[in-house]
Amino acid sequence: MTEFAGYLPGLARDAVAWQTLGFGAGNDAVEIAVPALDGAQTAALAARVRDAARANLKPLPVARIAAILDRAVARLLDRSDPYRKRAEALLPRVTGYDAEMVRLGLTEYLKTFRRPELLKFLAEDFANPQMLDDFQPVPKGGFARAFGPELLVQIWAGNVPGLPLWSQVSALLVKAGSVGKLSSGEPVFAGLFAELLAEVEPAIADCLAVVWWKGGDEAQERAWLNEADLVLAYGGTDALDAIRARVPVTTRFLPFGHKLSFGMVAREALDSRKAWAAAHAAAHDVIRYDQQGCYSPHVFFVERGGRVSPREFAGYVANELSVFERKYPRHALSAGEAGGVAAWRSAEEMKALAGDGDGRALLGDAAGAWSVAYAEEAEDLAPGGLNRTVRIVAVDALDDALPRIAPYRAFLQTVGIAAPPETLHRLAALLGGAGVTRISALGHMTAPEAGWHHDGRFNLLDLVAMVEIERSAEAAADGFAPYAD
Amino acid sequence: MTEAEIIDALLAFMAGDDASEDAFDAMALALFAYQFENNAPLRRFARQRAKTPRNVRRWRDIPPVPITAFKELTLSCVAPDSAMRVFMTSGTTGGARGKSYHPTLKVYDASMTANFRHRFMQERETIRMGVLFPDETVLPNSSLAHYLALALRHFGAEGSGYLMGTEGIDVEAVCAALDRATETGEPCALLGASYSFVHLMDALPPDRRFALPAGSRILDTGGFKGQSREMEAAAFYDQLSATFGVPKRLCINMYGMTELSTQFYDDGNEETPPVKSGPHWIRSHVVDPLTGREMPQGAIGVLAHCDLAHFNSACAILTEDAGLDTGDGFLLLGRADGEEARGCSMAIEEFLRAAQGRAG
Repeated sequence: MTEFAGYLPGLARDAVAWQTLGFGAGNDAVEIAVPALDGAQTAALAARVRDAARANLKPLPVARIAAILDRAVARLLDRSDPYRKRAEALLPRVTGYDAEMVRLGLTEYLKTFRRPELLKFLAEDFANPQMLDDFQPVPKGGFARAFGPELLVQIWAGNVPGLPLWSQVSALLVKAGSVGKLSSGEPVFAGLFAELLAEVEPAIADCLAVVWWKGGDEAQERAWLNEADLVLAYGGTDALDAIRARVPVTTRFLPFGHKLSFGMVAREALDSRKAWAAAHAAAHDVIRYDQQGCYSPHVFFVERGGRVSPREFAGYVANELSVFERKYPRHALSAGEAGGVAAWRSAEEMKALAGDGDGRALLGDAAGAWSVAYAEEAEDLAPGGLNRTVRIVAVDALDDALPRIAPYRAFLQTVGIAAPPETLHRLAALLGGAGVTRISALGHMTAPEAGWHHDGRFNLLDLVAMVEIERSAEAAADGFAPYAD
Repeated sequence: MTEAEIIDALLAFMAGDDASEDAFDAMALALFAYQFENNAPLRRFARQRAKTPRNVRRWRDIPPVPITAFKELTLSCVAPDSAMRVFMTSGTTGGARGKSYHPTLKVYDASMTANFRHRFMQERETIRMGVLFPDETVLPNSSLAHYLALALRHFGAEGSGYLMGTEGIDVEAVCAALDRATETGEPCALLGASYSFVHLMDALPPDRRFALPAGSRILDTGGFKGQSREMEAAAFYDQLSATFGVPKRLCINMYGMTELSTQFYDDGNEETPPVKSGPHWIRSHVVDPLTGREMPQGAIGVLAHCDLAHFNSACAILTEDAGLDTGDGFLLLGRADGEEARGCSMAIEEFLRAAQGRAG
């Protein structure tokens, strides 16, 4: 079966050239047709989105926009809704992730975009969200209003289902016309959401578009980047470097690079009862989207001195991973992915063999569906082989992990912590200083809460320009008023 | 068997022409037993895989050592400091370098020369060679430097030599050598790392073309390894052929590894990827990298090689190269070490590159 992806207001399907991306195999195979626009279509679409946003989105109060989004998200949360059904049918086939895991993840994720959550989202960035609607008085005197860009271009990457929703919603809340480029790894969700939004509120149907171009198609990429007032891009270092080089210097560029996250388990979480819960939560963070998220853990630093030793904890995590494998099996790996896991496992196994005693161990099932490497000696943070490969590193005290993460400041993101309050707060200060931007409970690493600051940045505030009416302008205006004496 | 007996048996096997699976099995099992007995880390590894000389019946059963083991373990049947030569991997990423210990180069050299004569020289005695790679005094631990030195010593006609100085490729010397060959009509050969050819072609003026005499040939090896810009194989051989006037069937790629003592060749690159194969003392199969099980023919997996010439460390190795069994050899399909991450989580390769970039 072939599904058409993307969302192209004003362009008829048969006026556009389509390219097919194939996913899955056998009965689960699916073909996704993605649009390949020519130069004239690109320019026309950019103009249409920009004009529509100016005419139909900018005048809407932000509270109205939140209400519209809420209606769309409510439909996606309704399992009988045709859009939700399409998402549930397509996303597992396209990404290869276990269908039940996708379903649960989708619901948990979409819940963070309901109206109350969106209001939190707004309040997080704006002391007074009405600043997005009109000039508002500000404490220093005068007035200020936040203007979103006319055209925000978003370049998505990766295959974590629904990821584009963050930037699509952010663009709408700041009233920006937005065009997003689909990721070839998950080209489904963004277009589906745009279509649904247009159905829910036809007035804003032309204010957003979802397009595609082949990675490395410089002409297409430049065409879009030249149209943009603001560019937001996700991807690896090389991809972001290439995009940055093509963004005009007058256009702001917000890159979100690949990140590395990890967990910490304090000895207080390691009594015989709590340790199982911690291991379960840790394993849950590992299996969710098979560690493909920027918030997915690669390493757990585990403190000695609890009832359960770090080595035993590694065994607990291994056990939980094997249970999860039966419930939510890992996606079928490509040859490259399997090679990555194998290379990591081999390296761990050889390090264990090279050691003299039992300082290292590799636990894993024979088919390689999951692996836990254990290291008795503290060692630096490093990525695992992805796809359910995790390292447990024993430390005398959790503070000992800090020098082990310090060199990687630029790559750090989430830390999942199981520790008592005092330790949590003390570590948080140290971790924040080391470059970590998000601290969650174990088990919640892959589900950031509404209004989180992605990579420590402001999701909405980073998108707008503040326009201020200074007090002097007000005072001077008074002099020209008809009532001036 | 003693080392001397193993070496004699191997040299006899290589010089002979028994290419049967049975003969290969017999030699491989004797070699595995020798390595199992004389190399403790290999023994530990094999035991961990529940394989010993008692239960290994065919070469395919010998547990292949992952190449990463050459970094972590001392894989040698003799004391490492008594080795005459140690070849090391370039170790561009990941720090540690893989090491292959050679108590003697007799077997390595015999393997190289016999195979090179057959596959590259194609039974020609000598040819004038230009080498685009540093010599052995500059890179004493490079197996490729030794390989190229052997090529020069055994097959280089008068006037052969290195075209690479401390400053990189000597472009003027290359042009002079190639022009001279064109004038005399005597065929010549250029040999070097794949990336050196890219550097050379990039350094030549855009319209500079050579029409080397018939019978001239090119040998490239090793890929680009981040040393030059990456090129698609087809485009690389198109440009190579167009620049030097050497037909693509005589643009031969050698696939070798520090962790082996025998090389693989293709029969030119008119089609890419071409089938690669080796002599009768090396065999390869394609396995699932995670389970180690042999892949059905036609399915992609990683290449595992059993090289009888690599007698001192581990004859069976598991590579990180993706491959496909073609019956008469295999297709080499690039690295299988974790492609770009599918999500936004960092993968090892990217992490190492980024971390090095920051440090440098």
